[in-house]
Amino acid sequence: MDTLDYLFQGFGTALIWYNIAFAFVGVLIGTAVGVLPGIGPMSGVALLIPVTASITSGLPPEQAATSAIILLAGVYYGAMYGGSTTSILLNTPGESSSVVTTLDGYQMAKKGRAGSALSIAAIGSFVAGIVTLVALIALAKPLSAVALKFGPAEYFSLMLLGLGAVSGLAGKSVTKALIMTICGLLLGTIGIDSVSGIARFTFDVPWLYQGIEFLTIAVGLFALGEVFKTILEKEDDDVHIAKINNLLPSKNELKESAGPIARGSVLGFFVGILPGAGATLASFFSYILEKKISKNPSKFGTGSIAGVAAPESANNAASGGAMIPLLTLGIPGSGTTAILMGALMMYNVQPGPLLFEDHPQVAWGLIASMFIGNLMLLILNLPLVKVFAKIIQTPKQFLIPIIIAISIFGVYAVQVSTYDLLLLLGCGIFGYFLSKNDYPIAPLVLGLVLGPMVENNLRRALTISNGDFSVFLTRPISLAFLLITLLWLLIPFLLKRRGKEVIINVEG
Amino acid sequence: MDIKFDRIASVLFLAIGVLFIIGSRNLASSSYGSSVGPDIFPFILGALLVLLSIRLFYETVMTRNHQGEKEKLQYKPFLIIFVATLIYILTLETVGYVITTFIFLLVCFQTMERTKWVKSIIISACFSGLVYFLYVQVLKGTLPGWPIWF
Repeated sequence: MDTLDYLFQGFGTALIWYNIAFAFVGVLIGTAVGVLPGIGPMSGVALLIPVTASITSGLPPEQAATSAIILLAGVYYGAMYGGSTTSILLNTPGESSSVVTTLDGYQMAKKGRAGSALSIAAIGSFVAGIVTLVALIALAKPLSAVALKFGPAEYFSLMLLGLGAVSGLAGKSVTKALIMTICGLLLGTIGIDSVSGIARFTFDVPWLYQGIEFLTIAVGLFALGEVFKTILEKEDDDVHIAKINNLLPSKNELKESAGPIARGSVLGFFVGILPGAGATLASFFSYILEKKISKNPSKFGTGSIAGVAAPESANNAASGGAMIPLLTLGIPGSGTTAILMGALMMYNVQPGPLLFEDHPQVAWGLIASMFIGNLMLLILNLPLVKVFAKIIQTPKQFLIPIIIAISIFGVYAVQVSTYDLLLLLGCGIFGYFLSKNDYPIAPLVLGLVLGPMVENNLRRALTISNGDFSVFLTRPISLAFLLITLLWLLIPFLLKRRGKEVIINVEG
Repeated sequence: MDIKFDRIASVLFLAIGVLFIIGSRNLASSSYGSSVGPDIFPFILGALLVLLSIRLFYETVMTRNHQGEKEKLQYKPFLIIFVATLIYILTLETVGYVITTFIFLLVCFQTMERTKWVKSIIISACFSGLVYFLYVQVLKGTLPGWPIWF
C-alpha cells in the first residue's frame, strides 16, 4: 500500500464520531491553555494525560491510544493558536512561543486593528499547519526507512544528540540543563532493570519496583510547580482587553501577509524538526527574517501585519515539525513532545520507525486528525475569538485550586497510590524552586522518558562489541551524531565566551 | 539568580552522584550471557553528575554575587494551600473523594481570595460531585468515593 492509501485509512480512523469529538475537545482545551497565562502547552498536555487515560479506558488498546494521542496533540497545536490571542489583545503572551507576536500584534490592537491581527494569526497558523502536515506525510516513510537501518550504536548516539540538543538550548546555563538531563536519566534507572531483572535503587520499597512514573513527575514539576509559582508570586492583574472590531482582514492586508506566512511556515517547519529548537526559536527567527528582507524595516514594532503573520505561522509550523522526529525516529525534540511520547508509551505504543508499520492506525489516524483539528481551529478561532478572550478573565481564585484538584485526581486515577500523590506534591515544590533558579525542567522529563531506551541501546551496542566502547566511534553514522552533539553543546558555550548573546528556547 | 541556592544545589547534586556511583557498585556487575551489566549505565551517569556539579560549584564561585531585588512572596496562602493539599492526599483513601475534594477546594478558594462564599461552595460541590459521578458511574473507574466507615 502506498502513502495515500494509508492516509485515507487514517481519515477513516479520524472521522469516527468519537475521534472527531476527541480532536474537538483537544483543540478547544488547547486554545484555552494557550490563552491562559500560566498554563503552557507542556503542563496542559501533562494534566490531560490521566484524564484522557480514564476517558479512553473503555476502548480497545490501540483505539484508545489513537483517541488519546489525537486529543493530546490537539492540545499541543491548539495552544499555538491560542497563544496569539493574549499577545495581541493584552500584550502578555499566553505561552512563550507568542512572545514575538506581542511586538507588532499589540501595536496593531492599539490602532484598532486587533480583529485583522487575530484573523491573520489564525489564517497563518492554519496555512502553516497544513504545510507541515503535507511535509510530514512526505517525509514520514523515507525517514523511518532510514531509521530502520540504524543499529543500537546509532540509536544510542542519536538519542544522545537529542538529549544534548535540548540541554544546549534549554536554559541560561548549559551546566544546569545537563544536570537536569542526567537527573532525569538517573530517575529512569530506578526500579527493576528490564534486561537482568535486578531491582536497582529500590531499597526494598515495593512501590519503587515498577519505577518512577513519568506522569507523576511531569504533572508535578510542570503543572503544580506553575501553580505554586502563581500562588507565591501573586500579581495584581489589571486586565485591559483591546476592543475587537472588524474581524476580516482587508484584501491589502491579506496580500501583505501572504509572503510572511509562506516563509514563516517553511522556516518554522525546519526549525521544528531540529531537536531542542522549538516553537519559541522558530517564531523568533522568522520575525528577524521578515525584518531583514522587508523594504522598510522601521515599520516593524509599530504594528506591521507581517510581524504578526510570520511568527504565528512559524510557531505552528514548528509544533508540526516537532512531530516528525517523534513519530519517525522515536526521539522527542522538546519537552512537550517528550510528554506526548510518554503518553504513547503508557498505551504500549512505541514511537519510532516501526510505528508506521506496527500501528498504522495510530500514526495515520493522528496525522489525519491534525488536518481536521487545524480546520476546526480556523473555524473556532475566527468567530469565537471574543469568547476565548473572555477566558483570560477567569478568576485565579477558582482556577488555581481546580488545577491542583485535577492533578491529584488524574494521578490517583492512573496510579491508585497515595505515595504517587506525595511524590506529586514534592515534585511541585521542586518544580517551583528549580525553574525559579533557572534549572530547566524539560530536559529532566526528556531524560526520564528516554532513559530506559538510551540504556537498552547502550547495553545492546556494548554487548555486541563485547564491552568495547569504541564501537560508537568506529561506526560512521554514530560518530557523526556524536560529533554534532558535541558541537551543539560547545558552540553556544563558545559564543557566550565571546560575549555574544545566545537565544534560548523557553518552554512553558 | 540566587548564588546560595546554586551552591547548595551543587553540593546536593554531588552527593546524589556519589550515592548513585556507590549504589551501582553494589549491583551485580554483569548479567547472564553478557559482560555489560545493569550497573554500567547508572555508574556512568553518576560520574557525569559528579563532574557537572563540580562545574556548577566552580561557576558559582566565579560569578559575582549580584543581588537581585527581593520579591515579596506570599508565604501565608502558599503554606495554607500546601498543608491543605497534604491533608487532602493523606485522607483521600479513608474519608473518600467527594468529601475531601469539596473541603479542599473550598479551603483553597477562600485562601486565594476571601470573597464569593456562595459561588465557592457551589463550584466545589459541583466539581467534586461531577468528577465522582462521571468517573465512577459513567466511566466505571475506581475511586474511593465515601468514607470507609460508611
